[in-house]
Amino acid sequence: MHEATLAENILDIALDAAEKNHATKILKIGLTLGEMTGVEVEALTLSFDVLKKDTPADCAELVVKRVPISAACNKCGKTFRLERYNFFCPECDGILILRSGRELLVEFVDCE
Amino acid sequence: MRNILGANDDIAAQNRKVFAEHGVIVMNLMGSPGSGKTTLLEQTLARFADKIKIVVIEGDLFTAKDAERIEKSGVDVIQINTAGGCHLDAPMIQKVCASLDLDALDLIIVENVGNLVCPAEFDLGENFKAVVLSITEGDDKPLKYPLIFKESEAVLLNKVDLLPFTNFNLESARNDLTTLHPTIKIFETSCTTGAGLETWCAWLLKKLEAR
Repeated sequence: MHEATLAENILDIALDAAEKNHATKILKIGLTLGEMTGVEVEALTLSFDVLKKDTPADCAELVVKRVPISAACNKCGKTFRLERYNFFCPECDGILILRSGRELLVEFVDCE
Repeated sequence: MRNILGANDDIAAQNRKVFAEHGVIVMNLMGSPGSGKTTLLEQTLARFADKIKIVVIEGDLFTAKDAERIEKSGVDVIQINTAGGCHLDAPMIQKVCASLDLDALDLIIVENVGNLVCPAEFDLGENFKAVVLSITEGDDKPLKYPLIFKESEAVLLNKVDLLPFTNFNLESARNDLTTLHPTIKIFETSCTTGAGLETWCAWLLKKLEAR
């Protein structure tokens, strides 16, 4: 349910970017969301579509890129992509430290 | 490129700095509604009564029911009502902490809104997070809600007195928790029998001594 908060923040960031670039219309907002974030993209889009009304982002579309979970071993240094949440190194007795998958980013704001 | 939670994270960093300057430790306590967070707090506070100075910040959607329970234990409590919001955030904590004499405190316990998803995403500026998972919720929850268990330094498997009446597999839960978070500290507790509470409180005291 925190998707509403995230949508609000995304809109704020986009409106801020548009204003700085003297743009009047926001076309696309690129998001990078890690697989290890508790974000439901559908709920996020729904919230965003409600919030964007009567703003320069009225017609803006969210373009979402998901980032897989990857982690690096604290002993052998190898990096692995995690499908299941197993943070033990498959090749030695080290522990895997999260490297990606927690991203919650506005990557770009396309406006005119 | 901008962090969607950047505004929250900035204030969380400010909170963390203020807490460190005043030498107060802050725990963010999370868990499902009904997992036993408030009862665990009551039991924890009873054991700490005269030893350390604590303030509890209670997050709740609409009511002050939990705060009223904590107040009975003689500990100062501050209520935050999120008015439907599913989590606490850093600005809420900053606002209420402005009215506290932080120098006089050892520990602030923040009881977050009951929820296994959203609170995990919002840094409050705490020193560490702990999550309560009760036996009746099922042993599959760590892998179904991985983020909250990955973010927490400790997990309390609570209501262990109910183990004989459920199909909760303790070994499987422990295994999933450790796989997900190899360094997580696992406590088995029951606020009915008192099991595990001394160990939990001793760990918490150690966190304070490490200041």
